[in-house]
Amino acid sequence: MSKYLSIYRTSFRQESKTLTNSITSVVSFVVIIYIFQQLWQFIYGGNGGGTLINGYSVNMMIWYMIMAEILMYAVNARSITRAFGNDIKSGKIAYQLNKPYNYFAYQVCSQAGAFMWKLIFLVPTGIIIGLVLLGPIKNFSFIYMLPILVSLLLAVLLTCIIYGAVGLLTFWIEEATPFTWIIQKFQMLFGLFFPPEFFPTWMQPIIEYSPVYAMMSGPCKLLANFSWELFLKVSVSQIAYITLFVIIGAILYKIGTKKVNVHGG
Amino acid sequence: MAVKNNLKMIFDYFKLNLKKEWKYKSSFIMQIIMMILNDLFFIIQWVIIFQLVDNIGGYGFDETMLLWAISAGGFGFAHTFFAGAKNIKEFVYEGKLDVYLTQPKSILLNVCCSATDVSGIGDILYAFVVLAIIGAPWYWYLIMIPIIIMTGLIYMSVYVVYVSLCFYINHGDAVAKSVEGTINKAGNYPPAIFNTIVKGLFFTLIPTFFYTFVPAQYFFLTPNIWWILGTVGVTIVWVMLAFVCFNKGLRKYNSGNLMGGRL
Repeated sequence: MSKYLSIYRTSFRQESKTLTNSITSVVSFVVIIYIFQQLWQFIYGGNGGGTLINGYSVNMMIWYMIMAEILMYAVNARSITRAFGNDIKSGKIAYQLNKPYNYFAYQVCSQAGAFMWKLIFLVPTGIIIGLVLLGPIKNFSFIYMLPILVSLLLAVLLTCIIYGAVGLLTFWIEEATPFTWIIQKFQMLFGLFFPPEFFPTWMQPIIEYSPVYAMMSGPCKLLANFSWELFLKVSVSQIAYITLFVIIGAILYKIGTKKVNVHGG
Repeated sequence: MAVKNNLKMIFDYFKLNLKKEWKYKSSFIMQIIMMILNDLFFIIQWVIIFQLVDNIGGYGFDETMLLWAISAGGFGFAHTFFAGAKNIKEFVYEGKLDVYLTQPKSILLNVCCSATDVSGIGDILYAFVVLAIIGAPWYWYLIMIPIIIMTGLIYMSVYVVYVSLCFYINHGDAVAKSVEGTINKAGNYPPAIFNTIVKGLFFTLIPTFFYTFVPAQYFFLTPNIWWILGTVGVTIVWVMLAFVCFNKGLRKYNSGNLMGGRL
């Protein structure tokens, strides 16, 4: 375990050297929050007043969006898939096989370290924008910060693992990135743009039991409308999906490496 | 004559890049199909939004989809023909421009045409898929072709103008990335949601509105010859600016003395 923590720390430190890139990503983040804020204000009509749409006030909706965008900007799904893809396609993976670590875990920890660095910029920026544009969240207590942060970190880890597993598909296909696009769109449509309550009733349980809920909707709902029951539900979902996708990744990696041996690396 | 030669070069590069990509046939086809599917997802977003409101500043579902079609088409055109522009940062900082300096034609054009992003073809096709979805009249398909070319040129020219900062400062691509991201994202939303200051910015320094809104409104919805001519003019100005900024920046370029060749 300690070796993976070292990999994580090294990647975090390495990412900290790219300060300008982190600041750029924050600018882009602010722009998209502004666009969504304008859009939802318009949909809710002026300043929104006390209007509720599917149980969400305009403030809840935009805080939901802020959290969703933090997750979206923190994790660069394409870079995860590409990291696996490049190593597999170039044959570099052959040099990783004899190292004293599991390559899948190595890549996931390395990517997660880089994304955690981004959170240092995104989380405070998101909070400041939210407070400036909307003011504090109704009935929010500072005690909720810790569970929300835990949920955010678990969501980042889960997203890294899922896109890592997608990257391993490069063992079988030449380019796995298009699968990343599609999964990302599921994540955006059923998590980022709208909370589950905006979908037809028959779809809501499907979304709530899907990985998208653990990756996106769950943590976002926690910020918009915190409750300890919701925290428990989201955490259980996140831990269950982390376990499931670690197993899937490990299986794909095991079968995939055999394929590398066949081709000679 | 020079224009004809440059056009020939752009198409020769395109053919060459396509041949290279076609080596991985399944990946080639999959990238195009998946990109169309990827873009189609956004339609659902707007179906849901327009169940909540009838229109946003006069823009209903069809009008908003038109914005998406133009944006996807322009983005696709830029990345299909001029994806090499995205490597300018790397070429400048790593001193890799040397191989282009000895080319007889424009260095910027050579750099821009040196790569093709196959998924861009999917974006171009998607523009026409959207026209079919909204039941557009036949002549809109024809109008879409020059619009895609113009918006693609605006998109890549703006990127080149800002990324030319790389010749002067470290991390010069940071501004270019932010501007590109803004054009790409904001251009897909009905203009009524933005306030006056932002609208001013989107007509000038970050020409988002010439990328989507002006073509949608004044080429398709309420044709207006002055806006059409204005858009052509703005496209020419941004393309010229791209050449001026890049060529000016090139004087500051330091060779990496890197041995390299192009096949």
